[in-house]
Order: sequence, then structure tokens, then C-alpha cells
Amino acid sequence: MGVINRTAKKRYFKASLIKSFDKLRTNGNLLGSAALSPFVVRLSNHLCRNRYERKQQANRFLKKPECNSLHALTAAALVLPGLMQPILVNATEDDSVDFQYSHYQEGKRDIYQGVYFSDLTAGISGINGSHKQSYNNPIEVDSVHGSGRFSLTDRIKFSFNYLQDTWSGATPVGTAPALLSANGSYSPEIVNSGASPYGSPSIPTVYIDNKGNMYGVKNSFIDGSNTIGAQSNQITHVMSYASPETRKQGDFSLSYDWDEAAVNVGGGISVENDYESRFVNLGGRMDFNQKQTTVNVGVSYTNSDTFAKLDPDSLNFISTEGYDEQYFDDTDGSYKGYRPIAGAPGQIESDYTSLSDGGNFRSSAILHGKRQDWGTQLGLTQVLTSESTMELGFGYTRSTGYLANPYKLVYFLSGTLNVGDDPNAPILYNTGGGARLEKRPEERNQFNWNLGYNHYLPFFDAALHFDYRFSHDDWGINAHTFEADWVQPLGTGWTATPRIRYYSQSGADFYTPFVKTLAVNDPATGEKVNSPYTREAPEFYSSDQRLSGFGALSGGVTIAKQFGKGVSLETGFEYYTHQGNLKIGGGGEQAFADYDYWVANAALKLNLEAAGAPGSSTGHISHHQHSNSPAGVMFDHALEKSGDFMVGYRYMRSEQAGNMLLGSHSISPDNTRNNGCGDQACAVAPKSMVMNMHMLDLMVAPTDWFSLMLMPQWMDMNMDMTPLSGFVSQTGHNHGGSTHNHQTGGIGDTGLYALFKLFDQPNQHLTLSLGGTAPTGDVDIKLRTTSSITNKVKNVPLHYGMQLGSGTWDFKPSLTYTGEADSFIWGAQATGTKRLESRNSAGFAFGDSFQGSVWGGYQWTNWLTTTVRGIYATQGSIRGEYPAVYYANRKPPQEFKLIHVGPFDKTNNYGGKFWDLGLGVNINIPHGTFAGNSLKFEWLQPVHTDYNGYQLDRDYTFNFTWSYGF
Amino acid sequence: MISSINTAKILFVAALISACAPVQPWERGNLAKPQMALDPYPLQSALRAHNYGSREAAAGGNAAQGGGCGCY
Repeated sequence: MGVINRTAKKRYFKASLIKSFDKLRTNGNLLGSAALSPFVVRLSNHLCRNRYERKQQANRFLKKPECNSLHALTAAALVLPGLMQPILVNATEDDSVDFQYSHYQEGKRDIYQGVYFSDLTAGISGINGSHKQSYNNPIEVDSVHGSGRFSLTDRIKFSFNYLQDTWSGATPVGTAPALLSANGSYSPEIVNSGASPYGSPSIPTVYIDNKGNMYGVKNSFIDGSNTIGAQSNQITHVMSYASPETRKQGDFSLSYDWDEAAVNVGGGISVENDYESRFVNLGGRMDFNQKQTTVNVGVSYTNSDTFAKLDPDSLNFISTEGYDEQYFDDTDGSYKGYRPIAGAPGQIESDYTSLSDGGNFRSSAILHGKRQDWGTQLGLTQVLTSESTMELGFGYTRSTGYLANPYKLVYFLSGTLNVGDDPNAPILYNTGGGARLEKRPEERNQFNWNLGYNHYLPFFDAALHFDYRFSHDDWGINAHTFEADWVQPLGTGWTATPRIRYYSQSGADFYTPFVKTLAVNDPATGEKVNSPYTREAPEFYSSDQRLSGFGALSGGVTIAKQFGKGVSLETGFEYYTHQGNLKIGGGGEQAFADYDYWVANAALKLNLEAAGAPGSSTGHISHHQHSNSPAGVMFDHALEKSGDFMVGYRYMRSEQAGNMLLGSHSISPDNTRNNGCGDQACAVAPKSMVMNMHMLDLMVAPTDWFSLMLMPQWMDMNMDMTPLSGFVSQTGHNHGGSTHNHQTGGIGDTGLYALFKLFDQPNQHLTLSLGGTAPTGDVDIKLRTTSSITNKVKNVPLHYGMQLGSGTWDFKPSLTYTGEADSFIWGAQATGTKRLESRNSAGFAFGDSFQGSVWGGYQWTNWLTTTVRGIYATQGSIRGEYPAVYYANRKPPQEFKLIHVGPFDKTNNYGGKFWDLGLGVNINIPHGTFAGNSLKFEWLQPVHTDYNGYQLDRDYTFNFTWSYGF
Repeated sequence: MISSINTAKILFVAALISACAPVQPWERGNLAKPQMALDPYPLQSALRAHNYGSREAAAGGNAAQGGGCGCY
């Protein structure tokens, strides 16, 4: 390199830079003025150490900075090589805030039932053949993801992520021959009767011959003998519906950057009802060889706990063998129950309910497991040519502990062959003690290698990304992943990225759709004998489709649009199909396990530096962009002038806890039980109810006197219920005596509002907001009834108050007056909700509501304001109600009356009159790293509550807002 | 044919001796474009990795990201 003389090099340097700038210019609107480009030569590389100095340098060079072009220049400079460090990074490293919503939807699955037949004249009945059905309620997941990256100093960066997933729907719990009728039996003539969930434990249901062919069983109800029926080799997933559940994850990362190296440390936690995992990671990066080569290393540790409540409904039909054992009293030999096995991967804690005859049955069981994962990664990124880069990576993950899924079962078919019988004739099998909890090894070592290649195609101005990954583990799974993306900029800020992915894996050694065991007995003694036909149960077994051999093909497209001011929108769609016959080399699982899903996502990304970085003149934040009203006040201000844009995030959490109230008086559990549920007795009462709302607040000002606001929102709710003692249902037991819990979450109703400045003086403002919400939130979320499997009842609608939206188009006008003088602020607001429909699609409508509030505050410094607010609100009770639920397939139709009700299932126990006192703190950051950000907090304390009917007392409401104007 | 052999050579050699094919900083304009970022859509990639991770057995190579049980 030293051979080239300096002047020549300089000239070449400058020329190529201009050339690359020209290319950049054609890439979009990044650059305001081509004439400025030579300056960048001086700005690049060696002069400046960091971004802020660089911007100051830019100011000095450009004497009269014209704000737009300066802004464009710095933006362009940032994407220039050598300026940004490192050049090979994951998209933007600028300070930014992102929001993403996604919806995952699985397709319906085919399941198979045994065909029931009965011949009264011949005196036989049984299961013969299989019947295909489509299973409704496939699983769906709603996810919200918020993240932020901030530079704390020039070299220290902080980033965080918050994720929330809520899922519900049907998922396979196991796999069984269709002849077992584990999904219920089908009969063309006879109405479906109570099916045995998960297969009958002891009734022989299938003949299997030595080639694995399966036949139905014809049972004579005259002499009890069995004969071989028709052949049916169909196997099927056994489905179970899960009520909504939510997972929440928060994580952070802190990094320190040198010019050619970086270190980062991060950690986080993921919390579910039945699973919690905590993780930490440490990483480093070194750039070599003028940043042509980058080496990454990382190490991570995850520690997880499972505490899964086994489905109480199925507890008596499944076997916990391998995890616990039944035991008996030492002295009198009486049956004591179940106890965990020392050293088992998971420990089961059981509870019992006494029966009137002195016995007891296991009514609840919780599986506890611990798991640890250690991971290391090593990566190399290399610049190959001026148009291509390459990545190489290696990773190793070691997992130990309870690695199974507590909700997956394996069907065991056990048969007996007597010595002397023909081993080639079909043998009768039964399901023994029921389907067992799956059992996996307690150790797993996974290795993976990946190769990535990225190529720039000048003709298209596009980039091709190709990735191949190979993964191998000591469970016998080898997997290949091929993925290709084509990132195509389309001009004016649009980018389209089609992608395709192919994945193939071999099955785990212990994967099996079901287990067959065969004991060989000596008919004379009845004792087991050793025989070549003997088949013992394997040590480990799982029927989880994730461990089977299969291939998956997926493809999709991402469309991104970059707006000015650092705002970009991204939306993507992907379709995924999982098929046994797509496995490389064949031999994958049969077609019964095939399924597909699609995912759609939308993201809003804000680059805070491009939007209005401190020091650049576009970054000036007007004081009036932020209102100084308390956090819980919405619709109180329009934007200052035409073209302004504001992005905000609102969070509201409210909690109910304490006593049950009738009107405004505390009442006893007995009173609630006897009177709270109308003509029925209440089985449960709410113990606590938490509602979280996340809202995005997007505002633009088309004119100076009018702003438009779009407000998508996400909700999640959690209700703990406590059984009311003394309640006895028709079936004779209350549900275990312990608290149980319902959860929901997902996209809520979407608001669209127009805000008008009716009166706008420097110190006094009157704002009218007209708009409302569209019914985008679900109102038909179902709950699995505790007897849905045995009684074939449809799932029942969840309590009105835990649905995610109103289901109706709602008109929400609001009028707000605000004022300020010296350091005092004050305001008043009246706002209402009028339901524009009398019923939603689920059959009801929430009551109309009105809220009035008055507040005052004092501004202590230019950044700190405290507020006090008084609020009165009223809301009507629910109109209409859910339609009656009927038993499936009963003739004549028979209504299913839910026994397990609480006051929240009655429409007149909604609404009321409420008085609250609010205390708030507002922080507006005028300068420094976080200039332009505004944070507000408000705590609302209930002062008086007068409910309609029976409801749980209110505890508090907390409001938080973050907003950023530019 | 010849160019693909060359590409393979470059790939191989560059991986071993990274100093071999120097690409000067001022020649990296194309590499710095957003479409050439190693991961142009990190938000979406995280989502997709989570979906694949809860449906497939292979480790995504990012075990440090947490992600919970995915027990559905």
C-alpha cells in the first residue's frame, strides 16, 4: 500500500468518493446538494472521532448551513464507509425507537377420529375405520415488540427490548392411531356421545400385526369376545384447546465502542404463567485490517424454570410415569397418592380432593423443572470485494435439566403375546395407563455452522443475501437451512424484499409418533419370558412434531418505506408450510403432521438522530409540541404548525383488588355467591384484575389549526379468581380449591381523531377532538370450559370485561381547555364515549361513558412540572349478552349452562360512577442527549366508587407517556 | 465459469488471509448502503427467528436471546 504516492492516492480517493456519492444520490433523496460532496472527503475517516464532533466539523466547513442540506449531508455521511463504525453492522446504530406488531396464524389441521359402529342384531359394536375432520380454532399469536437504542455518551450505548406475545387455540398434545378415538369417535348415524379423552386407558382398541398394520376391534356385547375389524393405518394428532396465555419479555444491552472494537453486556427475563427464563450475555467485536475483517465472539447463559399445571381435566387419563410414583402407607398399606421420583428430570407436586366414600382423587398436579443453557458464538465478517461481503459463524449450545415440554404426551400401546401363539397374527393392544408425559434426555449439545454471502448488484442497485446453516446435535437431529433475500430499493424511499427459505431436519432418535410395547408371557405361569418378540418401552420418548423429520418451505416479502424526518414503516408477510415429505432425502413424518402458518407484521421505526438530532437546526423542539397536561389526559393539544409530526407512546395500567362491592359497600363472599350471578350461584369471585394498555400516538398537522391522530392500541389482561367456599356444582366438586387465572392479550380498538384549535392564544387554548375507535379488538375470545373434552361442549366466550375491544364503532368527542401563567398550568376536560351500534358481533355492547376532569400544576424548573387532577367518570352497564352455548351434536339441541360463573359473567355487573384523585409528574428534556423527549407519569387513586351491581373494588390506575416531537 | 472459480478462490483465500484482497475504505460505498447491511430488517428477523425457533429443532445460533418456552 505504501508504494502508491500520496498525491495520486489523494486524487483517487476524492474521485472515487464523488463517484460513490453519485451512486448514493441515485439511491434516494438522501443528498440535498451534489456540490457539497467534496467536503465529505475532508470529513471522512481520519479527522473526526465521533458523530457529534463530525457534525460540528460539518458546520464549520459549511459556513452558512442551510438546514435541510446539512441534515441530508450528515445523513449521507453516516452511511459512508469509514465514518460509521463498524461498517458491517445490523442496520442502523443510530439512536432510534421502534414498534412492531405481528400476527401469527396457523392453518386448520386435519385430524382423524375412529368410526364407531354398532350392530344390535349381531350384538357387536366397536371402532372400525377412520374419519377425517378439520380441526377449528388453530393457534394464533399476537405479538408486540417495542425497542429503543440510545447513546448515553459518545461511546456508550444502551438498548432495550420489550416483547409481549399472547396466544390461544388448539395445539397437538400427542399422536395416536385414529382407531384409539383420542379425538372422539365419529358415527354417521348415532349422535356423538361422551368420548374418552386421550383414548380409553384399558379398553382394547386396536389390533396390530407384525408389519405394523392396524385394525379395528369388534367387541361382542354378548360374550365379550373381540374380533378383528377393518384395517386403518391412519394416525392423527390429538388436539387440545388452550385458553389465551401471555408471555412478556424485557431485555437490555449496554455497549462500549472503541474505534475498532466493542464490548457489550446484556440480560433479560421472559415471564409466562408456567415458565420463566432469565438470561445474560457478553459479547465482543474486533475490527482488523482497516475494518475489512470483523470478528465477533459471544457467550450466553440462560436459566429457566418450568412450573406447569397439568391439565386437571385430563389428569385422570394420562400417566405421569417416569416423573412420580404411587405410594402406600408403610404401616397399614393404605393408598397415599403420588410422590416425585428422586432424580427425575421434573418433579410433580400433586393435590388431592377427598371423595364422600373416603377415597380421594388427584385433582391437580404441577410439574416443576429447571433448565440451563450455555451458548457460545464465534463469527467472522469479511469484506471480499467492493461489492461483496461474507460471514462465517460457529455456535455451540449446551442445555441441561428438564428439556421436555410439559404439555406433550406420548401414547403407549401395550400388547401381550402368549408363547405358542402365532406371532404373525394381529395382536390386541390397549393404551395401558393412558398417554404418558413425554420424556427427553437431560442433556443436549447443539452445534451450528453458518455461511452468509451478500452481494451488491449495481445494475439493479439491489443486494442479494444468501445464508446457509447446518446444525447438528447429539439427539440425532441434523438440520439444513437455506435462505435467500433480494433487497430491492424502488426509489422515493421504497424498498421491496422478497425472500425464500428452505429448512430440513432429521428426527430425534427418540422421536416416535407413538410407542408400541409387547410383552411375551408364558401362558402356564402368566410370567413374562424373554423372547425375540419382546419390545420394551424406550428410555426416552417424544411425539413432538418439532423433533420429527420434516422439511419446511417458506417465502414472503417485506415492503419498507423511508419517509423524511427519520420515520420509516415496514410491513411483511410470510407463508410457511411444514411437510414430512419436504425433508431432504425423504423419510419424514407422514402427512397427518403437516400444517402451515402465515405471519404478518408491521413496524414503525424512528431514527431520532435523523429526525432531529441535537445540534442540527431541524432538531429544535418546540415547547408547545408537548402539552404539560397530566399523563392521563389525551386529546388536549393539536400540533403547533402545519407539517409537524409527533410520535408518542402511552401506557396505562389499572388494577382491581380488595373486597367485592355491591354499589359502594363491601360485601361478604356469601352475599356474592348467592346474589352476584343472577339466577345462578356464583362459583368464583375475582381476586385481582390487571389491565395493561399500550398505545401508539401518531400525530400529524395537515394545517396549522388542525391535527390528525392515529392511535393503535394493544391490551393485555390478567384476572385471578378465587373459588367461593360453599359452592357445590352439579358434578359434586369445586375446582381444586385453588386460585385460577384467565389471561388475554392482543390488538385493541384503533382510534382515529381530528383535533381542532378552537381558541389558541399564547396562554390559553381550547381544543376540540372529534373521532372514535374502529372495532379492531377481538370480542369473541373463548375460554376452554373445564369439561369441554369430556362433554364435547364448545368453548364458551370469555368474560365481557376481558375481551380486547368494544366490538362496536365508538364515537369519542372531547373538549379540552388548558391555560398557563407564570409557572402555573391548569386545565379542564370533558370527554365521552357513545357506542354507535346497539350490539357487536358477539351480541353485546358496552355502556356509554362520560368523564370530566379538572387539573392544576406548577412548573418547578424548565424541565419539571407536577400536577394534581380530580376526575369524575360514569359508565353504563352492558346491553345485550352472549348467545346461549349448546352442546355439540346433541339432538335435540341442548343448552349448556356454564356452572363455573362469576359476577363478571353478568352484564348488569358492569359500569358505575367513579371519583379519582390524580398526582402527576411531567419531565420535558430541553437539551442534552435526550433533548426533545418528554416523559409523564400519573398515579390515580380512587376516592369513591359506586358500581352497578357486584364488582371487585378498584385499586389504582397508573399512566405513563413518552412523546417525541419533530 | 472462470469467474465463478475466481469468486470461489477469492472467497476461500479471503477467509484465510484477510489482508489478501484489500478493499479500500473509499471503495466501500456500495457495501455501506442499507440494502447491504448484514441484517436489513433486524426487528422482523427477531420475530422470524422466534417463530422458527418455536417450530423447529435446530438452534438459531442466538440462544442468548431468551425467548421463553414457546410451549404451544
